[in-house]
Order: sequence, then structure tokens, then C-alpha cells
Amino acid sequence: MAKDGYRLKKCGKLTYVFDECSPNEYEYAIEFVGNQSYSKAKDYRRYLESMGFHTFTKNIYLNISYGKVLWRPYAKGMGQIATSPGGLNKELLILEKKQDGKPFELHTDIHDKLSIYKTVRRAYTWAVFMITLLGVMTFLPNVMSVPFPMAWFLRIVLLIFFSLFLIPTVKYSSLMKYLKEESKIFE
Amino acid sequence: MTETTFFVLLAVYKPNHGYGIMQFIEKETNGRVVLGAGTLYGAINTLVKKEWIAPLNDESDSKKKEYLITHIGKQKAEEELQRIEQVLQLASTVIKGGRIK
Repeated sequence: MAKDGYRLKKCGKLTYVFDECSPNEYEYAIEFVGNQSYSKAKDYRRYLESMGFHTFTKNIYLNISYGKVLWRPYAKGMGQIATSPGGLNKELLILEKKQDGKPFELHTDIHDKLSIYKTVRRAYTWAVFMITLLGVMTFLPNVMSVPFPMAWFLRIVLLIFFSLFLIPTVKYSSLMKYLKEESKIFE
Repeated sequence: MTETTFFVLLAVYKPNHGYGIMQFIEKETNGRVVLGAGTLYGAINTLVKKEWIAPLNDESDSKKKEYLITHIGKQKAEEELQRIEQVLQLASTVIKGGRIK
């Protein structure tokens, strides 16, 4: 969109609003902060704003209720609990900066990249695990009380989601493997 | 100590904020080392936790928090300088002067 001359103005739960601007005037980066506690994510956002980035938050869950608590098993410490109002539905940070010819890299250190990839992989791995669990449950007698064709339809849907989450899990694993090798030679 | 950590320590011998630290590193390395904002945030937080650097104003609302190296931080930087000097000496001997025992 930025290449075509559109600048992000607002993020809704399911929508994005853009303003017109010159093509390639702005560029964007996305960071996953769904593992952080609300206070830490807020501090990080404030810091990035102080570095000159314009920031937006974006949800990864389709939660449309107001006032809710969610357990995020892939996070650590206080990041495991997300509340609304609070850190719930603000799992992604979208950063905007004016094009200056320099690469827009938020993480440049190998160890830092490894830690970020590990966090993202953890989230995908949990999704794969939960979908697998649901899939296994559809085969358990007395758990599924839906007609036979419906059960298979559900399994196919779960298989599609399983594949969708498995691909990035594998991708991040291989990226981590590569970086671990690199970190033995370079700092 | 990683190169990132050492550069951050050097950048806060005088009070400096995040953006200033980033600029310092890029300028002093002639653009060889460009720190990502996320990486710098992690490095600053780790160093504050270890008490190698300290924020000057503790107001969490302060948009541009400044940091300064602490006594422990200076000690660690001096140790790192000694280590680098040893590596430099060894490398110079091997590369310029041939093999060593």
C-alpha cells in the first residue's frame, strides 16, 4: 500500500484506514508484542515514539467484547494475562517511518533476533498444539456429538488451520537454526 | 561482552537518550554498526537491570529518557577495553609478524 501512495491512518479490529500520500513516502514494520505485559508494551511503544516512529496497535484475536481477561500461554510472567482495557487486542505494533533510504530493521543483533524469533515461534507452536488437541478430541467417543459429515468437515477445517500455523513455526525454526550457527562465528 | 553492549556503554559516558545512543554508534563507526531500535531497547533495559547504566530522570512519562554509565559500567567497559587490546595485540603479532608459539 505504501508503495502505491497510501499511508496508514487508523487500525480497526478488522479494517485499516489509509490516507493518500506520495508513493514510497513511508515504510512500515510490524512487531509482535503479545508476549509482553501491558506496562512493558506501553513502555516499549513510548520508547519507539521517542525514537521518531509513529505507532499503531493491532489485534490478533477477534475479540469484540469490552472488559475481558485472556490467558496467553505462550507469554512469560505478567505477559500471560491480557486484559481489556489493557494489552488485549494490542498484540501487534505497527511502526511507520518516512523512507530515508536506510533499511527498516528493528532488530539488528543476532542474539536479539534469536530472542524475537523464539517468542514468535512460541506463539505459533501453541496455536499448532491447541489445534492438534482439538483435532484429537474430534476422534474421542462421547466428545463429538455432531453428525459424521460435520465431524469430518470440522477436521478438515482444523487441518487447514494446523497447516497455516505449522508453516511459520517451521520457518522460524529454520531461521533460528541458521542464526544459532551464525552466532558461533559472529557476535 | 557483545559489540552492541560495549558501544552502548561508550555512548553513555555522557548523558544520552535512545536516539542519541543510536546516532553516536552510527557516527563513530562510520555507519558500520547501525543498531535497530528494538535491539537498543533490549540492550538499554538489560544494562539498567545490571546497573551498568542508570536513567537520569526516573519519570516514566519522560519522552526522551537519558542514561548515564555507572561506576560498575565503567569497570566493565575498562575490562572490555583490556580484552580488546589483548586480542588486538595477538592478532597483530600473528597477522603481521607471522606465527607465534
